Amino acid sequence: MNVPLSNYLMLSAFLFAIGLCGALSRKNAIIVLMGIEIMFNAGILNLIAFWHYKLFVAPTAQMFAIFAISIAAAESAVGLALVIAVYRHYKSVDMDEMKSLQG
Amino acid sequence: MEITFWILAAITVVGAILAITLRNLVHCVLSLILFFLGIAGHYLLLGADFLGAVQILIYIGAVAVLILFAIMLTRHVTGTEGPREVLGGKWWTGMGTSIIVAGLLWAVIRRDQIAAMLPAGAAKTSIAEIGRVLVGDWVVPFEAMAVLLTAALIGAVVIALEEVMRRR
Repeated sequence: MNVPLSNYLMLSAFLFAIGLCGALSRKNAIIVLMGIEIMFNAGILNLIAFWHYKLFVAPTAQMFAIFAISIAAAESAVGLALVIAVYRHYKSVDMDEMKSLQG
Repeated sequence: MEITFWILAAITVVGAILAITLRNLVHCVLSLILFFLGIAGHYLLLGADFLGAVQILIYIGAVAVLILFAIMLTRHVTGTEGPREVLGGKWWTGMGTSIIVAGLLWAVIRRDQIAAMLPAGAAKTSIAEIGRVLVGDWVVPFEAMAVLLTAALIGAVVIALEEVMRRR
């Protein structure tokens, strides 16, 4: 494999920026969660790229990636339950309308 | 090998961009599935075959279906609003922040000499080794993860059912 490590780092930095853009600028709460998932995946891709180029002790990076994927799955389950609860309360999933806590 | 990387990179980037820019929410989730598939391909290309399978099973099999269910349980399934209503109130701050983050990361990675010159690695971890390590050295985090997943499951059900329980 003759792809340098920096290509993977560039790709995952770009994906992270795309996910950040989606999470910060979209109005729908479900798309915000999708942006967070994209950022999670960019981070895990970084981890696996470092593992491939032997910058990690062998099984450690895979363990980190497996635990990160599990935490992301739990986070998305709780987040979507929160979206459903918010929808039931406000009858909408717009981020702009959730401002009961605004000072 | 290099052409495979570029094809997979194009798939992931196009999938991610479509997932956050399309107007129809169901189309967004389908693009997100394309993105997850591209990431799974990257894992396979990097030699992490177990993680590629896990990526497909958990992200496409569970997370994407969960998001689809959340879309179906909330309104505006087709979401045919104008372009103004798709973006949040201060969308320009979000776009500016992400452009700044992308520029900073790009500048830092481009200057990194070690990452550009690193020899081809191809580390190997077999699935049997992963299984042995998971119930050996990593058994405490493994059990903590089991407790966390159970708590998240119960919490998700309680949060989603809150209103129904109050009504009784």
